[in-house]
Amino acid sequence: MMSKKLIWIFAVTAIMLFAVLNVFRKGEAETPPPLSVHKSVAIDSTKCIAPASFMRANHMQVLYEWRNSSVRTGNRVYIASNGSKYEKSLNTCLGCHSNNRMFCFNCHSYANVKPKCWNCHLSPMETP
Amino acid sequence: MKKVLMPLVMVALLALVPFVGVQYAGLSYLFGVIIPYTAMVVLLAGFFLRLADWFRRPVPFRIPTTCGQEKSLDWIKYDRLESPAHFWEAAARVLSEVFFFRSLFRNTKAELHKDANLAYGSHKWLWLGGLAFHWSLLVIVLRHSRFFFVMVPGFTDFLDHADGFLDVTLPTFYITDAVVLAAISFLVFRRLKDAKMRLISLQTDYFPLFLIAAILVVGVLMRYVARLDIMPVKDQMLRLVNFSVDAPGEIGILFYVHLFLVSVLAIYFPFSKLMHAGAIFLSPTRNLTNNSRQKRHINPWNAAIKFRTYSEYEDDYREKMKKAKLPIEKQ
Repeated sequence: MMSKKLIWIFAVTAIMLFAVLNVFRKGEAETPPPLSVHKSVAIDSTKCIAPASFMRANHMQVLYEWRNSSVRTGNRVYIASNGSKYEKSLNTCLGCHSNNRMFCFNCHSYANVKPKCWNCHLSPMETP
Repeated sequence: MKKVLMPLVMVALLALVPFVGVQYAGLSYLFGVIIPYTAMVVLLAGFFLRLADWFRRPVPFRIPTTCGQEKSLDWIKYDRLESPAHFWEAAARVLSEVFFFRSLFRNTKAELHKDANLAYGSHKWLWLGGLAFHWSLLVIVLRHSRFFFVMVPGFTDFLDHADGFLDVTLPTFYITDAVVLAAISFLVFRRLKDAKMRLISLQTDYFPLFLIAAILVVGVLMRYVARLDIMPVKDQMLRLVNFSVDAPGEIGILFYVHLFLVSVLAIYFPFSKLMHAGAIFLSPTRNLTNNSRQKRHINPWNAAIKFRTYSEYEDDYREKMKKAKLPIEKQ
């Protein structure tokens, strides 16, 4: 009785493990995305990619989308709604916004939101 | 199945109310200010009134459920936790119930085997599921303090950090979110799976489960899927904590659904089985000391009984007893 149940559990677990591992193998086998990290885009750094009110509410969505598409598919060009092009990079933002060192930290410490941007990237607080 | 479907439909309808109210009728002030305050008043007043009501009830006799040696002679070792004789032992007993659900740990299950043998076995799943559910819920509620304080207290900051320890997804995935969803799913399916459990489960068992599940799901959606703008949310919660009645700013609709369902839970709380949160401290089978042999407990509402002693009897009939030559104690 019990052993039959156990065999079932083992079988299902094994199949699931196999499936999960296969998913990862598939990802490995694919050809890596073309490296276009420094294919320079004419960066428009005179104005923001969207109105301030939109950015205030949705910057995390934009950055999340940028991270995924630029790192995982190598697509580093962002076309804004008005047609102008930007490089999908934190530096695009910090090009202007690092003039206020507390630009990110004011609101983030108020809302107690701690994204992990600065685990890898250099934060405006750390630059001289 | 009506008793399962009705609460489910009710929770769905309740979730729709703020959605329609804020999205189409623009009642953000009602759902963001008036209802939360009302709910808090009902919760606090209801909670304390019911506790006060229960606290005033006399408990004349010792009725603790004991399963250990009672304190008697000095040289007989007694069980301090299972048969407490002093206040602190009883307090430890109640707290171990509150924090670790000791009596659920003893849960057994009777099974009728094929050869017609009735077997009782240890059954810890309810204990484990309940413990996971309640502790996760506590951590989640404490984590929410980041919305109620301008400067987040260090303890909950640490809790937040520990909960997001896995450091996956953006925003950071909280372990308790997964644990609490798994636990509440188990607690629902536990009632549905077994015929005996189905029979004794009522609408009032399913409704709070579904309501809390809805709150959890909406909260999880807000954080991981919709990624709500958190600034106006924090503004609004700080206003509520500071008893301000200013109108809320532009907040995503999911926040209103979450807040409204929490308000419904808060209003429902004092009138429902959820009062076990306070009642466990007042439950006489747990919080009384088993000291009937040390102290006499007299029922306060016993009618005064007129006893007639022998000396009174003798006083009444002395002369007659003397004539009948019966022995008398007092001449």
